[in-house]
Amino acid sequence: MRKVAIIGVGITPFKTRYLDKTYFELAYDATKLVLEDANKNGAEITHKELQSTVYGIYNELFERQFMPDIFINSYIGMNNKPGTRIASGGATGGYTVRMAYSEVASGLSDLCLCLGVEKCNDCYDEQTGTTTPEVLNSIAYSADMTYEYPMGMMAASSYVSMVNAHFEEFGNPTEEQMALVSVKNHGNAMNNSKAQSPMKITVEDVMNSRIICYPFKLLDCCLYSEASAALILASEDKVNELKVENPIWITGVGAANTDCFIGNREDMGRLYSNIHAAKVAYKMAGLDYDKIKSQIDLAELHDAFSGQEVLSYEELGFVSFGEGGNWIESGGPLIDGELPCCPSGGLIGCGHAVGATGIMSTGEAALQLRGNAGKHQVKTIENGRAISHSIGGPGAAYAAVIVMENEEGISEK
Amino acid sequence: MNSEFQAHQIRDIIKINYKYTMGGQSKFFLELMNNKKILGAKCTKCGKVWMPPRINCSDCFVPADWSEVKQTGIIEVSTIVWFTTSAFIENIPYAIAYVKLDGADTALLQGIFSENLVPSKIKKGKRVNAVFQKEREGKMTDFFFVPEDEYLNWINKPEFEGGE
Repeated sequence: MRKVAIIGVGITPFKTRYLDKTYFELAYDATKLVLEDANKNGAEITHKELQSTVYGIYNELFERQFMPDIFINSYIGMNNKPGTRIASGGATGGYTVRMAYSEVASGLSDLCLCLGVEKCNDCYDEQTGTTTPEVLNSIAYSADMTYEYPMGMMAASSYVSMVNAHFEEFGNPTEEQMALVSVKNHGNAMNNSKAQSPMKITVEDVMNSRIICYPFKLLDCCLYSEASAALILASEDKVNELKVENPIWITGVGAANTDCFIGNREDMGRLYSNIHAAKVAYKMAGLDYDKIKSQIDLAELHDAFSGQEVLSYEELGFVSFGEGGNWIESGGPLIDGELPCCPSGGLIGCGHAVGATGIMSTGEAALQLRGNAGKHQVKTIENGRAISHSIGGPGAAYAAVIVMENEEGISEK
Repeated sequence: MNSEFQAHQIRDIIKINYKYTMGGQSKFFLELMNNKKILGAKCTKCGKVWMPPRINCSDCFVPADWSEVKQTGIIEVSTIVWFTTSAFIENIPYAIAYVKLDGADTALLQGIFSENLVPSKIKKGKRVNAVFQKEREGKMTDFFFVPEDEYLNWINKPEFEGGE
Protein backbone atom coordinates (compact mmCIF):
# COMPACT_ATOMS: atom_id res chain seq x y z
CA MET A 1 0.00 0.00 0.00
CA ARG A 2 1.10 3.56 -0.69
CA LYS A 3 1.85 6.08 2.08
CA VAL A 4 -1.04 8.48 2.75
CA ALA A 5 -0.89 11.94 4.34
CA ILE A 6 -3.42 14.41 5.67
CA ILE A 7 -2.52 17.65 3.88
CA GLY A 8 -5.52 19.74 4.91
CA VAL A 9 -8.01 20.07 7.76
CA GLY A 10 -11.27 22.03 7.59
CA ILE A 11 -13.74 22.16 10.47
CA THR A 12 -16.78 24.42 10.74
CA PRO A 13 -17.94 25.55 14.18
CA PHE A 14 -20.03 22.90 15.99
CA LYS A 15 -23.36 24.57 16.80
CA THR A 16 -26.75 23.64 18.19
CA ARG A 17 -28.42 24.83 15.04
CA TYR A 18 -27.50 26.47 11.78
CA LEU A 19 -30.67 28.25 10.71
CA ASP A 20 -28.72 29.84 7.88
CA LYS A 21 -27.33 26.62 6.31
CA THR A 22 -28.59 23.35 4.91
CA TYR A 23 -26.46 20.21 5.25
CA PHE A 24 -25.02 20.63 1.75
CA GLU A 25 -24.21 24.30 2.41
CA LEU A 26 -22.38 23.27 5.61
CA ALA A 27 -20.46 20.62 3.65
CA TYR A 28 -19.48 23.30 1.12
CA ASP A 29 -18.11 25.45 3.96
CA ALA A 30 -15.91 22.62 5.28
CA THR A 31 -14.68 21.89 1.74
CA LYS A 32 -13.73 25.53 1.33
CA LEU A 33 -11.96 25.51 4.70
CA VAL A 34 -10.02 22.33 3.94
CA LEU A 35 -8.81 23.71 0.59
CA GLU A 36 -7.69 26.94 2.29
CA ASP A 37 -5.78 24.92 4.90
CA ALA A 38 -4.08 22.74 2.28
CA ASN A 39 -3.11 25.85 0.34
CA LYS A 40 -1.74 27.48 3.49
CA ASN A 41 0.56 24.46 3.61
CA GLY A 42 1.68 25.07 0.05
CA ALA A 43 -0.58 22.75 -1.94
CA GLU A 44 -2.02 25.36 -4.35
CA ILE A 45 -5.06 23.31 -5.35
CA THR A 46 -8.76 23.90 -5.95
CA HIS A 47 -11.67 21.47 -5.73
CA LYS A 48 -11.01 20.66 -9.40
CA GLU A 49 -7.81 18.81 -8.44
CA LEU A 50 -9.61 16.54 -5.95
CA GLN A 51 -10.13 13.19 -7.63
CA SER A 52 -12.71 11.55 -5.39
CA THR A 53 -14.81 12.06 -2.28
CA VAL A 54 -15.70 9.79 0.60
CA TYR A 55 -18.73 11.13 2.45
CA GLY A 56 -19.47 10.48 6.11
CA ILE A 57 -23.18 11.03 6.76
CA TYR A 58 -24.93 8.95 9.39
CA ASN A 59 -28.64 9.59 9.34
CA GLU A 60 -31.00 10.20 6.44
CA LEU A 61 -33.76 11.19 8.85
CA PHE A 62 -31.68 14.10 10.21
CA GLU A 63 -31.01 15.36 6.71
CA ARG A 64 -34.63 14.73 5.58
CA GLN A 65 -33.00 13.20 2.51
CA PHE A 66 -32.01 9.71 1.49
CA MET A 67 -28.66 9.50 -0.35
CA PRO A 68 -27.70 12.99 0.83
CA ASP A 69 -24.16 12.52 -0.52
CA ILE A 70 -25.19 12.95 -4.15
CA PHE A 71 -26.70 16.36 -3.41
CA ILE A 72 -23.48 17.44 -1.69
CA ASN A 73 -21.52 16.05 -4.64
CA SER A 74 -23.44 18.43 -6.90
CA TYR A 75 -23.10 21.41 -4.54
CA ILE A 76 -19.33 21.13 -4.05
CA GLY A 77 -18.61 20.78 -7.76
CA MET A 78 -17.50 17.16 -7.73
CA ASN A 79 -19.68 15.95 -10.61
CA ASN A 80 -18.27 13.17 -12.82
CA LYS A 81 -15.90 11.89 -10.14
CA PRO A 82 -16.40 8.93 -7.80
CA GLY A 83 -18.11 9.56 -4.47
CA THR A 84 -18.79 6.91 -1.84
CA ARG A 85 -20.88 7.32 1.27
CA ILE A 86 -20.12 5.71 4.61
CA ALA A 87 -22.75 5.33 7.35
CA SER A 88 -21.52 3.55 10.51
CA GLY A 89 -23.46 5.24 13.29
CA GLY A 90 -21.33 7.32 15.64
CA ALA A 91 -18.23 5.76 14.07
CA THR A 92 -19.12 7.14 10.64
CA GLY A 93 -16.30 9.69 10.77
CA GLY A 94 -13.57 7.18 11.64
CA TYR A 95 -14.82 4.70 9.07
CA THR A 96 -14.92 7.49 6.47
CA VAL A 97 -11.26 8.30 7.16
CA ARG A 98 -10.48 4.59 6.79
CA MET A 99 -12.22 4.43 3.41
CA ALA A 100 -10.57 7.65 2.19
CA TYR A 101 -7.22 6.22 3.30
CA SER A 102 -7.96 3.09 1.26
CA GLU A 103 -8.88 5.21 -1.77
CA VAL A 104 -5.40 6.77 -1.75
CA ALA A 105 -3.35 3.85 -0.41
CA SER A 106 -4.75 1.59 -3.13
CA GLY A 107 -3.76 3.98 -5.89
CA LEU A 108 -7.32 4.74 -6.98
CA SER A 109 -6.83 8.43 -6.12
CA ASP A 110 -3.88 10.71 -5.43
CA LEU A 111 -6.01 13.41 -3.83
CA CYS A 112 -9.16 12.42 -1.97
CA LEU A 113 -11.64 14.57 -0.10
CA CYS A 114 -12.85 13.03 3.16
CA LEU A 115 -16.00 14.97 4.06
CA GLY A 116 -18.39 14.50 6.96
CA VAL A 117 -21.52 16.44 7.76
CA GLU A 118 -24.59 16.17 9.93
CA LYS A 119 -27.46 18.48 10.68
CA CYS A 120 -29.77 16.92 13.27
CA ASN A 121 -31.74 19.75 14.76
CA ASP A 122 -34.14 20.21 11.87
CA CYS A 123 -35.93 17.27 13.56
CA TYR A 124 -38.71 18.71 15.70
CA ASP A 125 -40.97 17.16 18.34
CA GLU A 126 -44.37 18.82 18.21
CA GLN A 127 -45.44 17.32 21.60
CA THR A 128 -42.72 19.06 23.61
CA GLY A 129 -41.99 21.91 21.21
CA THR A 130 -38.30 20.95 21.26
CA THR A 131 -35.88 19.20 18.93
CA THR A 132 -34.10 16.63 21.15
CA PRO A 133 -36.79 13.92 21.65
CA GLU A 134 -37.30 13.75 17.88
CA VAL A 135 -33.53 13.72 17.22
CA LEU A 136 -33.28 10.83 19.71
CA ASN A 137 -36.12 9.02 17.97
CA SER A 138 -34.48 9.29 14.56
CA ILE A 139 -31.33 7.81 16.16
CA ALA A 140 -33.31 5.12 18.00
CA TYR A 141 -34.33 3.63 14.65
CA SER A 142 -30.71 2.42 14.54
CA ALA A 143 -31.56 0.00 17.37
CA ASP A 144 -32.79 -3.44 16.36
CA MET A 145 -36.36 -2.67 15.30
CA THR A 146 -37.82 -6.05 16.26
CA TYR A 147 -36.44 -6.76 19.73
CA GLU A 148 -34.87 -3.59 21.13
CA TYR A 149 -36.49 -0.42 19.74
CA PRO A 150 -39.95 -1.45 21.08
CA MET A 151 -38.50 -1.53 24.62
CA GLY A 152 -37.57 2.17 24.46
CA MET A 153 -33.90 1.51 23.73
CA MET A 154 -31.91 4.55 22.60
CA ALA A 155 -28.31 5.73 22.50
CA ALA A 156 -27.93 6.67 26.18
CA SER A 157 -29.63 3.52 27.50
CA SER A 158 -27.47 1.37 25.24
CA TYR A 159 -24.18 2.97 26.36
CA VAL A 160 -25.23 3.08 29.99
CA SER A 161 -25.91 -0.67 29.92
CA MET A 162 -22.27 -1.32 29.02
CA VAL A 163 -20.98 1.18 31.59
CA ASN A 164 -23.23 -0.31 34.30
CA ALA A 165 -22.03 -3.82 33.44
CA HIS A 166 -18.43 -2.58 33.72
CA PHE A 167 -19.26 -1.06 37.10
CA GLU A 168 -20.76 -4.36 38.28
CA GLU A 169 -17.52 -6.11 37.30
CA PHE A 170 -14.90 -3.64 38.56
CA GLY A 171 -16.66 -1.18 40.91
CA ASN A 172 -15.90 1.72 38.57
CA PRO A 173 -16.35 4.15 36.95
CA THR A 174 -18.13 5.74 39.89
CA GLU A 175 -20.49 8.65 39.29
CA GLU A 176 -17.80 11.02 40.56
CA GLN A 177 -15.16 9.55 38.24
CA MET A 178 -17.53 9.94 35.29
CA ALA A 179 -18.15 13.54 36.36
CA LEU A 180 -14.39 14.21 36.21
CA VAL A 181 -14.44 13.32 32.49
CA SER A 182 -17.25 15.80 31.95
CA VAL A 183 -15.36 18.51 33.86
CA LYS A 184 -12.21 17.82 31.80
CA ASN A 185 -13.89 17.83 28.38
CA HIS A 186 -16.17 20.81 28.96
CA GLY A 187 -13.10 22.59 30.35
CA ASN A 188 -10.85 21.73 27.39
CA ALA A 189 -13.54 23.12 25.10
CA MET A 190 -13.10 26.55 26.76
CA ASN A 191 -9.98 26.91 24.59
CA ASN A 192 -11.58 25.65 21.37
CA SER A 193 -13.42 28.38 19.50
CA LYS A 194 -15.29 25.80 17.40
CA ALA A 195 -16.79 23.95 20.39
CA GLN A 196 -20.50 24.01 21.17
CA SER A 197 -20.34 23.39 24.93
CA PRO A 198 -17.36 25.14 26.55
CA MET A 199 -18.05 25.19 30.30
CA LYS A 200 -16.05 25.68 33.47
CA ILE A 201 -17.88 23.29 35.80
CA THR A 202 -17.29 21.19 38.91
CA VAL A 203 -17.98 17.56 39.81
CA GLU A 204 -20.90 18.85 41.91
CA ASP A 205 -22.41 20.60 38.87
CA VAL A 206 -22.35 17.31 36.98
CA MET A 207 -23.72 15.35 39.94
CA ASN A 208 -26.55 17.88 40.33
CA SER A 209 -27.53 17.97 36.66
CA ARG A 210 -30.74 16.13 35.86
CA ILE A 211 -30.82 12.38 35.46
CA ILE A 212 -31.05 11.07 31.88
CA CYS A 213 -30.46 7.34 32.16
CA TYR A 214 -29.32 5.99 35.51
CA PRO A 215 -26.59 6.87 36.42
CA PHE A 216 -25.85 9.16 33.42
CA LYS A 217 -26.77 12.76 34.07
CA LEU A 218 -27.22 15.55 31.55
CA LEU A 219 -23.63 16.77 31.85
CA ASP A 220 -22.32 13.21 31.34
CA CYS A 221 -23.81 13.22 27.84
CA CYS A 222 -22.63 14.91 24.65
CA LEU A 223 -25.11 17.17 22.89
CA TYR A 224 -26.14 16.52 19.32
CA SER A 225 -24.63 19.13 17.10
CA GLU A 226 -24.61 20.51 13.57
CA ALA A 227 -21.29 20.80 11.75
CA SER A 228 -19.13 19.65 8.89
CA ALA A 229 -15.49 18.54 8.88
CA ALA A 230 -13.16 17.68 6.03
CA LEU A 231 -9.68 16.33 5.36
CA ILE A 232 -7.69 16.14 2.16
CA LEU A 233 -5.68 12.94 1.89
CA ALA A 234 -2.78 12.72 -0.52
CA SER A 235 -0.40 10.06 -1.77
CA GLU A 236 3.33 10.42 -1.04
CA ASP A 237 3.99 11.28 -4.70
CA LYS A 238 1.41 14.04 -4.55
CA VAL A 239 2.81 15.39 -1.27
CA ASN A 240 6.22 15.65 -2.95
CA GLU A 241 4.85 17.05 -6.21
CA LEU A 242 2.82 19.76 -4.42
CA LYS A 243 5.67 20.43 -1.94
CA VAL A 244 3.21 20.33 0.96
CA GLU A 245 4.61 21.43 4.30
CA ASN A 246 3.64 19.63 7.47
CA PRO A 247 2.06 16.47 6.05
CA ILE A 248 0.61 14.26 8.76
CA TRP A 249 0.98 10.62 7.80
CA ILE A 250 -1.74 8.08 8.53
CA THR A 251 0.29 5.09 9.66
CA GLY A 252 -2.36 2.92 11.28
CA VAL A 253 -5.99 2.25 10.42
CA GLY A 254 -8.06 -0.21 12.42
CA ALA A 255 -11.75 -0.96 12.50
CA ALA A 256 -14.00 -3.67 13.88
CA ASN A 257 -17.69 -4.35 14.41
CA THR A 258 -18.62 -6.28 17.51
CA ASP A 259 -22.00 -7.89 18.24
CA CYS A 260 -24.72 -5.22 18.05
CA PHE A 261 -26.76 -7.22 20.59
CA ILE A 262 -25.11 -6.43 23.93
CA GLY A 263 -26.85 -9.50 25.39
CA ASN A 264 -24.86 -11.75 23.05
CA ARG A 265 -21.48 -10.57 24.37
CA GLU A 266 -19.36 -12.64 26.70
CA ASP A 267 -18.91 -9.59 28.95
CA MET A 268 -21.57 -6.92 28.57
CA GLY A 269 -19.23 -4.31 30.05
CA ARG A 270 -16.96 -4.39 26.98
CA LEU A 271 -16.94 -2.53 23.70
CA TYR A 272 -14.97 -5.32 22.05
CA SER A 273 -14.90 -3.33 18.80
CA ASN A 274 -12.57 -0.83 20.48
CA ILE A 275 -10.08 -3.52 21.47
CA HIS A 276 -9.95 -5.09 18.02
CA ALA A 277 -9.81 -1.77 16.15
CA ALA A 278 -7.02 -0.47 18.38
CA LYS A 279 -4.90 -3.62 18.08
CA VAL A 280 -5.16 -3.60 14.28
CA ALA A 281 -4.31 0.10 14.02
CA TYR A 282 -1.37 -0.07 16.45
CA LYS A 283 0.09 -3.15 14.78
CA MET A 284 -0.11 -1.53 11.36
CA ALA A 285 1.72 1.52 12.76
CA GLY A 286 4.36 -0.68 14.41
CA LEU A 287 3.17 0.26 17.89
CA ASP A 288 2.46 -1.86 20.93
CA TYR A 289 -1.02 -2.20 22.56
CA ASP A 290 0.58 -2.64 25.99
CA LYS A 291 2.88 0.38 25.70
CA ILE A 292 0.70 2.68 23.60
CA LYS A 293 0.26 5.28 26.35
CA SER A 294 3.97 6.14 26.18
CA GLN A 295 4.18 5.90 22.39
CA ILE A 296 1.64 8.61 21.53
CA ASP A 297 1.28 12.26 22.57
CA LEU A 298 -2.49 12.59 22.69
CA ALA A 299 -5.76 10.86 21.88
CA GLU A 300 -8.94 12.37 20.50
CA LEU A 301 -11.48 9.91 21.90
CA HIS A 302 -15.14 9.33 21.13
CA ASP A 303 -16.61 10.48 24.47
CA ALA A 304 -20.32 10.27 23.62
CA PHE A 305 -20.86 9.64 27.34
CA SER A 306 -18.41 10.33 30.17
CA GLY A 307 -18.51 6.80 31.60
CA GLN A 308 -17.83 5.29 28.22
CA GLU A 309 -14.67 7.44 27.80
CA VAL A 310 -13.41 5.70 30.96
CA LEU A 311 -14.03 2.28 29.36
CA SER A 312 -12.14 3.48 26.27
CA TYR A 313 -8.99 4.20 28.35
CA GLU A 314 -8.90 0.46 29.08
CA GLU A 315 -10.03 -0.90 25.73
CA LEU A 316 -7.55 1.25 23.78
CA GLY A 317 -4.74 -0.05 25.98
CA PHE A 318 -3.88 3.10 27.99
CA VAL A 319 -4.47 1.34 31.33
CA SER A 320 -5.38 -2.21 32.32
CA PHE A 321 -9.00 -3.34 32.71
CA GLY A 322 -10.61 -1.95 35.83
CA GLU A 323 -8.07 0.90 36.13
CA GLY A 324 -9.89 3.53 34.01
CA GLY A 325 -11.68 5.11 36.95
CA ASN A 326 -8.46 5.49 38.93
CA TRP A 327 -6.67 6.96 35.91
CA ILE A 328 -9.12 9.86 35.46
CA GLU A 329 -8.98 10.43 39.24
CA SER A 330 -5.17 10.67 39.06
CA GLY A 331 -5.39 13.27 36.27
CA GLY A 332 -3.75 11.04 33.63
CA PRO A 333 -5.98 12.13 30.71
CA LEU A 334 -5.96 15.88 31.52
CA ILE A 335 -4.49 18.21 28.88
CA ASP A 336 -1.29 18.51 30.92
CA GLY A 337 -1.47 14.91 32.18
CA GLU A 338 0.28 11.68 31.29
CA LEU A 339 -1.65 11.28 28.01
CA PRO A 340 -3.99 14.15 27.09
CA CYS A 341 -7.37 12.75 26.01
CA CYS A 342 -9.79 14.97 24.05
CA PRO A 343 -7.74 18.20 24.21
CA SER A 344 -10.31 19.65 21.76
CA GLY A 345 -13.07 19.01 24.28
CA GLY A 346 -14.19 15.85 22.49
CA LEU A 347 -17.86 15.23 21.91
CA ILE A 348 -18.87 16.37 25.39
CA GLY A 349 -17.13 19.70 24.84
CA CYS A 350 -17.50 20.21 21.09
CA GLY A 351 -20.83 18.48 20.44
CA HIS A 352 -21.55 15.43 18.32
CA ALA A 353 -22.27 16.15 14.65
CA VAL A 354 -22.27 12.46 13.94
CA GLY A 355 -20.87 12.07 10.40
CA ALA A 356 -18.51 15.00 10.98
CA THR A 357 -17.35 14.00 14.46
CA GLY A 358 -14.69 11.38 13.72
CA ILE A 359 -13.32 13.54 10.91
CA MET A 360 -13.14 16.49 13.30
CA SER A 361 -11.33 14.27 15.85
CA THR A 362 -8.85 13.05 13.25
CA GLY A 363 -8.35 16.61 11.96
CA GLU A 364 -7.87 17.90 15.50
CA ALA A 365 -5.22 15.25 16.20
CA ALA A 366 -3.47 16.18 12.92
CA LEU A 367 -3.50 19.88 13.85
CA GLN A 368 -1.98 18.98 17.23
CA LEU A 369 0.86 17.10 15.49
CA ARG A 370 1.40 20.10 13.21
CA GLY A 371 1.50 22.42 16.23
CA ASN A 372 -1.48 24.30 14.78
CA ALA A 373 -4.18 23.49 17.36
CA GLY A 374 -4.24 27.03 18.74
CA LYS A 375 -5.22 27.72 22.34
CA HIS A 376 -5.77 24.04 23.14
CA GLN A 377 -2.40 22.96 21.72
CA VAL A 378 -0.87 20.12 23.76
CA LYS A 379 2.53 21.36 24.97
CA THR A 380 4.39 18.06 24.84
CA ILE A 381 4.43 16.69 21.30
CA GLU A 382 7.44 14.41 21.80
CA ASN A 383 6.65 11.21 19.94
CA GLY A 384 5.07 13.07 17.03
CA ARG A 385 2.21 10.62 17.15
CA ALA A 386 -1.52 10.70 18.00
CA ILE A 387 -4.68 8.66 17.64
CA SER A 388 -8.31 9.40 16.91
CA HIS A 389 -11.11 7.09 17.92
CA SER A 390 -14.69 6.66 16.72
CA ILE A 391 -17.43 4.37 17.99
CA GLY A 392 -21.14 4.08 17.39
CA GLY A 393 -24.15 2.11 16.34
CA PRO A 394 -26.34 -0.18 18.43
CA GLY A 395 -24.35 -1.28 21.47
CA ALA A 396 -21.45 0.79 20.05
CA ALA A 397 -20.90 -2.09 17.65
CA TYR A 398 -18.74 -0.06 15.23
CA ALA A 399 -15.28 1.21 16.12
CA ALA A 400 -12.41 2.78 14.20
CA VAL A 401 -8.97 3.90 15.37
CA ILE A 402 -6.60 6.02 13.27
CA VAL A 403 -2.89 6.48 14.08
CA MET A 404 -1.20 9.61 12.75
CA GLU A 405 2.43 10.72 12.78
CA ASN A 406 4.31 13.86 11.81
CA GLU A 407 7.71 13.70 10.07
CA GLU A 408 9.50 13.41 13.43
CA GLY A 409 7.27 10.57 14.53
CA ILE A 410 8.02 8.71 11.31
CA SER A 411 11.79 9.30 11.47
CA GLU A 412 12.06 8.14 15.09
CA LYS A 413 10.91 4.63 14.27
CA MET B 1 -28.30 48.13 3.27
CA ASN B 2 -29.42 46.05 6.24
CA SER B 3 -29.39 42.42 5.05
CA GLU B 4 -30.16 40.60 8.33
CA PHE B 5 -30.67 36.91 7.64
CA GLN B 6 -34.19 35.54 7.97
CA ALA B 7 -34.62 31.72 7.98
CA HIS B 8 -37.57 30.06 6.31
CA GLN B 9 -38.57 26.81 8.05
CA ILE B 10 -41.21 24.33 6.87
CA ARG B 11 -43.11 21.56 8.67
CA ASP B 12 -42.55 18.14 7.06
CA ILE B 13 -42.79 14.44 7.94
CA ILE B 14 -41.47 11.14 6.54
CA LYS B 15 -43.91 8.25 7.18
CA ILE B 16 -43.86 4.69 5.79
CA ASN B 17 -46.36 1.91 6.52
CA TYR B 18 -45.21 -1.73 6.70
CA LYS B 19 -46.61 -5.23 6.68
CA TYR B 20 -43.31 -6.68 7.86
CA THR B 21 -42.64 -10.42 7.88
CA MET B 22 -40.77 -11.86 10.81
CA GLY B 23 -39.46 -14.48 8.41
CA GLY B 24 -37.77 -17.42 10.10
CA GLN B 25 -38.41 -15.82 13.49
CA SER B 26 -42.19 -16.00 12.94
CA LYS B 27 -42.70 -19.03 15.22
CA PHE B 28 -41.24 -17.13 18.19
CA PHE B 29 -43.87 -14.42 17.84
CA LEU B 30 -46.75 -16.78 17.04
CA GLU B 31 -46.01 -18.96 20.11
CA LEU B 32 -45.68 -15.82 22.24
CA MET B 33 -49.02 -14.49 21.00
CA ASN B 34 -51.03 -17.73 20.94
CA ASN B 35 -49.54 -19.83 23.75
CA LYS B 36 -47.53 -17.46 25.99
CA LYS B 37 -44.42 -19.52 25.28
CA ILE B 38 -40.93 -18.05 25.01
CA LEU B 39 -38.87 -19.95 22.44
CA GLY B 40 -35.12 -19.83 22.18
CA ALA B 41 -33.16 -21.37 19.32
CA LYS B 42 -30.66 -24.15 20.11
CA CYS B 43 -27.76 -24.73 17.74
CA THR B 44 -27.84 -28.29 16.36
CA LYS B 45 -24.03 -28.43 16.63
CA CYS B 46 -22.75 -26.48 19.65
CA GLY B 47 -26.00 -26.47 21.65
CA LYS B 48 -25.91 -22.73 22.37
CA VAL B 49 -29.41 -21.37 23.03
CA TRP B 50 -29.84 -17.99 21.35
CA MET B 51 -32.22 -15.41 22.87
CA PRO B 52 -33.41 -13.45 20.91
CA PRO B 53 -33.71 -16.58 18.77
CA ARG B 54 -32.04 -16.96 15.37
CA ILE B 55 -32.85 -19.93 13.18
CA ASN B 56 -29.21 -20.33 12.19
CA CYS B 57 -26.27 -20.45 14.61
CA SER B 58 -23.94 -17.55 13.73
CA ASP B 59 -21.02 -19.33 15.43
CA CYS B 60 -21.33 -22.75 13.71
CA PHE B 61 -23.18 -21.83 10.51
CA VAL B 62 -25.68 -24.66 10.94
CA PRO B 63 -29.45 -24.57 11.64
CA ALA B 64 -30.79 -24.10 15.16
CA ASP B 65 -33.88 -25.86 16.58
CA TRP B 66 -36.66 -24.18 18.53
CA SER B 67 -36.20 -24.77 22.25
CA GLU B 68 -38.57 -23.40 24.88
CA VAL B 69 -36.85 -21.49 27.71
CA LYS B 70 -38.20 -20.84 31.20
CA GLN B 71 -40.27 -17.75 31.95
CA THR B 72 -37.95 -16.85 34.80
CA GLY B 73 -34.48 -15.40 34.59
CA ILE B 74 -31.80 -13.20 36.10
CA ILE B 75 -31.00 -9.54 35.46
CA GLU B 76 -27.53 -9.10 33.94
CA VAL B 77 -27.59 -5.29 33.70
CA SER B 78 -30.28 -2.62 33.90
CA THR B 79 -30.99 1.11 33.77
CA ILE B 80 -33.87 3.46 34.50
CA VAL B 81 -34.62 5.91 31.70
CA TRP B 82 -35.65 9.46 32.70
CA PHE B 83 -35.34 11.24 29.34
CA THR B 84 -35.97 9.62 26.02
CA THR B 85 -37.21 9.74 22.46
CA SER B 86 -40.43 11.37 21.30
CA ALA B 87 -41.96 7.91 20.88
CA PHE B 88 -41.41 6.90 24.53
CA ILE B 89 -41.36 10.19 26.44
CA GLU B 90 -44.86 9.59 27.83
CA ASN B 91 -43.58 6.41 29.52
CA ILE B 92 -40.78 7.91 31.66
CA PRO B 93 -39.48 6.79 34.02
CA TYR B 94 -39.18 3.23 32.69
CA ALA B 95 -36.66 0.46 33.27
CA ILE B 96 -35.00 -1.84 30.77
CA ALA B 97 -32.64 -4.71 31.43
CA TYR B 98 -30.73 -7.48 29.73
CA VAL B 99 -32.22 -10.63 31.24
CA LYS B 100 -30.75 -14.12 30.90
CA LEU B 101 -33.76 -16.43 30.90
CA ASP B 102 -33.26 -19.81 32.56
CA GLY B 103 -32.24 -22.14 29.74
CA ALA B 104 -30.85 -19.41 27.44
CA ASP B 105 -27.17 -18.64 26.83
CA THR B 106 -27.57 -15.01 25.75
CA ALA B 107 -29.47 -12.13 27.36
CA LEU B 108 -32.64 -10.52 26.04
CA LEU B 109 -33.46 -6.82 26.36
CA GLN B 110 -36.86 -6.34 27.98
CA GLY B 111 -38.85 -3.85 29.99
CA ILE B 112 -38.82 -4.32 33.77
CA PHE B 113 -41.98 -3.21 35.55
CA SER B 114 -41.90 -2.68 39.29
CA GLU B 115 -44.15 -1.19 41.97
CA ASN B 116 -40.99 0.36 43.41
CA LEU B 117 -38.78 1.39 40.51
CA VAL B 118 -35.38 2.03 42.12
CA PRO B 119 -31.94 0.84 40.92
CA SER B 120 -31.43 -1.55 43.85
CA LYS B 121 -34.67 -3.40 43.04
CA ILE B 122 -33.56 -4.25 39.49
CA LYS B 123 -29.79 -4.63 39.81
CA LYS B 124 -27.61 -7.43 38.50
CA GLY B 125 -28.46 -10.81 40.02
CA LYS B 126 -32.12 -10.03 40.79
CA ARG B 127 -34.54 -12.72 39.65
CA VAL B 128 -37.50 -11.81 37.45
CA ASN B 129 -40.64 -13.49 36.07
CA ALA B 130 -42.35 -12.90 32.73
CA VAL B 131 -45.84 -11.34 32.79
CA PHE B 132 -47.99 -11.35 29.66
CA GLN B 133 -50.51 -8.90 28.25
CA LYS B 134 -53.98 -10.43 28.00
CA GLU B 135 -54.34 -8.73 24.58
CA ARG B 136 -51.32 -9.93 22.57
CA GLU B 137 -50.26 -8.93 19.04
CA GLY B 138 -47.21 -11.13 18.44
CA LYS B 139 -44.73 -8.41 19.35
CA MET B 140 -42.05 -8.01 22.01
CA THR B 141 -44.42 -5.72 23.92
CA ASP B 142 -46.67 -8.76 24.56
CA PHE B 143 -44.66 -9.43 27.72
CA PHE B 144 -42.35 -7.84 30.25
CA PHE B 145 -40.50 -8.86 33.40
CA VAL B 146 -41.24 -8.10 37.06
CA PRO B 147 -39.22 -8.77 40.23
CA GLU B 148 -40.10 -12.28 41.43
CA ASP B 149 -41.58 -11.03 44.71
CA GLU B 150 -44.06 -8.85 42.76
CA TYR B 151 -45.16 -11.56 40.31
CA LEU B 152 -48.49 -12.47 41.96
CA ASN B 153 -49.49 -8.81 42.27
CA TRP B 154 -48.86 -8.21 38.57
CA ILE B 155 -50.69 -11.24 37.21
CA ASN B 156 -53.72 -10.36 39.32
CA LYS B 157 -54.12 -7.03 37.50
CA PRO B 158 -57.00 -7.19 34.97
CA GLU B 159 -54.91 -6.46 31.85
CA PHE B 160 -52.11 -8.99 32.56
CA GLU B 161 -51.73 -12.71 33.15
CA GLY B 162 -49.07 -15.27 34.01
CA GLY B 163 -47.61 -17.82 31.63
CA GLU B 164 -48.91 -21.37 31.44
